[in-house]
Amino acid sequence: MSHEEYREELHAAVGQYSRTKPLNEEVWRSFAEHLHFVATADDAGYEELRRTLEQLDLALGAHANRLFYLATPPPAYKAIVEAIGEHRLRGETGWARIVVEKPFGHDRASALELNEIVHTVFREDEVFRIDHYLGKETVQNILVMRFSNGIFEPIWNRQYVDHVQITVAETIGVAERAGYYEQAGAMRDIVQNHLLQLLALVSMEPPAAFDDKAVRDEKVKVFRALRRIAADELATNAVRGQYARGFIEGVPVPGYREEPGVAPNSQTETYVALKLWVDNWRWEGIPFYVRTGKRLPKQSTEIAIQFRVAPHQLFSRDALAGLEPNALVLRIQPDEGISLRFGAKVPVQGIRIRAVNMDFDYGASFMVDAPDAYETLILDALRGDATLFTRHDEVDQQWAFVDPIASGWAQSPGGPALYEAGTWGPSEADALIERDGRKWRKS
Amino acid sequence: MAEVVVDTTFWGARQSGVAALERELTRLRRAQSAHARELGRPIARASVLNLIVYAEREEHARRAARSIADLALRHPSRAIVVLADRGRREGIDKQIEMHCRLPIADGARLVCYEQILVRARGDVDDRLASALIPLLVPDLPVFLWWTGTPPLGSRSFADLLRLSDRLVIDSADFARPEMTLPVIARISDDARGRFGLTDLNWTRLTPWREIATAFFDVPAWRLFLDGITGVRVGFAVDMDGRDIHPSQALLFVGWLASRLGWRPLETLAPSEAGGLLFAIARPDGARVMVRVRPRFERGLDEGDVSGIRIQATSTRQQAEFVVKRQPDPRHQTATVLLDGERRWERTMPLPSPAIVELIGEELSILGSDRTYEEALDALVELA
Repeated sequence: MSHEEYREELHAAVGQYSRTKPLNEEVWRSFAEHLHFVATADDAGYEELRRTLEQLDLALGAHANRLFYLATPPPAYKAIVEAIGEHRLRGETGWARIVVEKPFGHDRASALELNEIVHTVFREDEVFRIDHYLGKETVQNILVMRFSNGIFEPIWNRQYVDHVQITVAETIGVAERAGYYEQAGAMRDIVQNHLLQLLALVSMEPPAAFDDKAVRDEKVKVFRALRRIAADELATNAVRGQYARGFIEGVPVPGYREEPGVAPNSQTETYVALKLWVDNWRWEGIPFYVRTGKRLPKQSTEIAIQFRVAPHQLFSRDALAGLEPNALVLRIQPDEGISLRFGAKVPVQGIRIRAVNMDFDYGASFMVDAPDAYETLILDALRGDATLFTRHDEVDQQWAFVDPIASGWAQSPGGPALYEAGTWGPSEADALIERDGRKWRKS
Repeated sequence: MAEVVVDTTFWGARQSGVAALERELTRLRRAQSAHARELGRPIARASVLNLIVYAEREEHARRAARSIADLALRHPSRAIVVLADRGRREGIDKQIEMHCRLPIADGARLVCYEQILVRARGDVDDRLASALIPLLVPDLPVFLWWTGTPPLGSRSFADLLRLSDRLVIDSADFARPEMTLPVIARISDDARGRFGLTDLNWTRLTPWREIATAFFDVPAWRLFLDGITGVRVGFAVDMDGRDIHPSQALLFVGWLASRLGWRPLETLAPSEAGGLLFAIARPDGARVMVRVRPRFERGLDEGDVSGIRIQATSTRQQAEFVVKRQPDPRHQTATVLLDGERRWERTMPLPSPAIVELIGEELSILGSDRTYEEALDALVELA
């Protein structure tokens, strides 16, 4: 592909997907002059990249900064980083940073190894491990809601909270990512990063400041306090599932093992449900139920904090039939917003109580579309603000939690429980939470 | 093959899937709240429940949609109307399409609710639920209003029931209530409190139950309650007597039996034109003859109870407790005869609530109605 072809491709894409339409051609032209394309299949390619960068520096008379963004399959990271080092692509004067997509490594050891390689070329403060969930407006809003309001934090603890549920549900199947997904599974693809990050944001202590060090220090503390699930506790605290054929929105879809690129006897999990404990002062004894899966009936990411019931009920059993425990639900996507569930009197003679929702809808309150997570994060990386990126000790602790479960599953004889596509996962997941007298939310 | 024609002015524009539909509703909400802000009257997005209405005819679907509109102020909801052509004919593409609108519920333009049409064609029994689950608003109770006879044994009915907190039926619409009601009772028993059961026909019966109870509030007549020897319940049919809908009358009998501890003896078979005759045993073993019979009555909906006659004896007297509709059907007259002599008579208004009021009342209840369930159980034993 030539520079010109690359620009045309981008032009078409920006025209189609940009938040501001129509595209201003004049603005585009001046922007596109700075776009260049170099393919690097081998060492010669990296050399060409170096020459292109040097020419640009010369032509512009600038000591340009360099941001490397690895939008490649994870196995390629190592070779690319080494090549950046060998071919001295960092440049001499401006800053250099690298953005790496999740998952960072495929277990604790490989993450550590990859980290060492990256650190031979980049300092830790130059490494931006991206987890695009952290770039979502509503995820950042978790912190704003918790720490800019006076009314939530006092009840955000074991005294008032009964349990927490986190759901990351996708309707899509494995699509064209079978090669990667067969190795990763839901545990490495979602739990290790997105899900644990959501857990950290909702359970962490108030940081002293909203900056990269303070926020990430608090997150790491949560990961350290996360109780490890031992092999003999897997059966009661962890459920893995795999989708079988079924229907999504009324359309038939194949089972996971029938997808192209998937082994016909694959044991890869496409669904995970876990019961977690954060062993610290704030959360002692409060379970966190988390679940994620592909081919679930509905696209939905949300965190629900369910509070304890009122200590003494004055009202009759019949009156209370429609009452459910108070819950504060943070909807991450779609339909971003916050809702609070509480009991209210039904307008009839006598007392009849019904759970109602008080709903805050982002879209209807702020009449603008929030920037896409990647817009936010790439801009942050350019500015050098790493608050919303994952630090190495976070990644390390996340793997330290995930590894024993993944290896326990790999060694146990039974495979994942099958669930029909378009349902809320295997019945074992219902049993996981129902054993404690609780149930999954109707998401 | 004829294309499905959906009236989009009534049902809203067609959407390509759940995500597109939610986007469209968000857009409509925004447009409304922007408009409302200009007028200084914010519109609340109000929903207190998910209401799934299942209908097999467009006419029923529209009627249900209009009822929901009338209900929206009391019960603003996400209303999902399923219009299903359950045909299993060959050559029909299985197809599910969705439409949505955001109607304003009231003249004051303060509350809007969400109306979704799910149009299903062909045999979609195995996949209907997968199109409905993602449309439900999280956390809100789910009411399933099934118009017509529930298709027992169908997968989509079972799937939807699993999602629901309450099943709303109208046994007035059942073609063979004596067959269907017992099965519904069994489903409800099996569910063991997972969902409540509501029969709009039971709600219609409430004034009749009230007046029948009121007879025996009089201390002098109280003792006749243990000496009932015969019950006759009339229900309305149309002139040619073709459509027989005895469910309401049967529920009345089931209610009496469950309250008074009657046990079945035998069904003396279908009597005259669609009627039924039962022999029932009182707790003291004596026999009660119960007759349920169709009557042509002008101005009544088919199946509505038209009159009740309860015969009883005490050691000294014979009594008859009679309730009859007046010719204007809005009033009823209650009469008590002792040894054939009229002792007491009163005429009072007989409310005949529209379906909107019936369902409005039922939507405010989440627990189960034990009296109804016991009446059903008694009916199962009798039938």
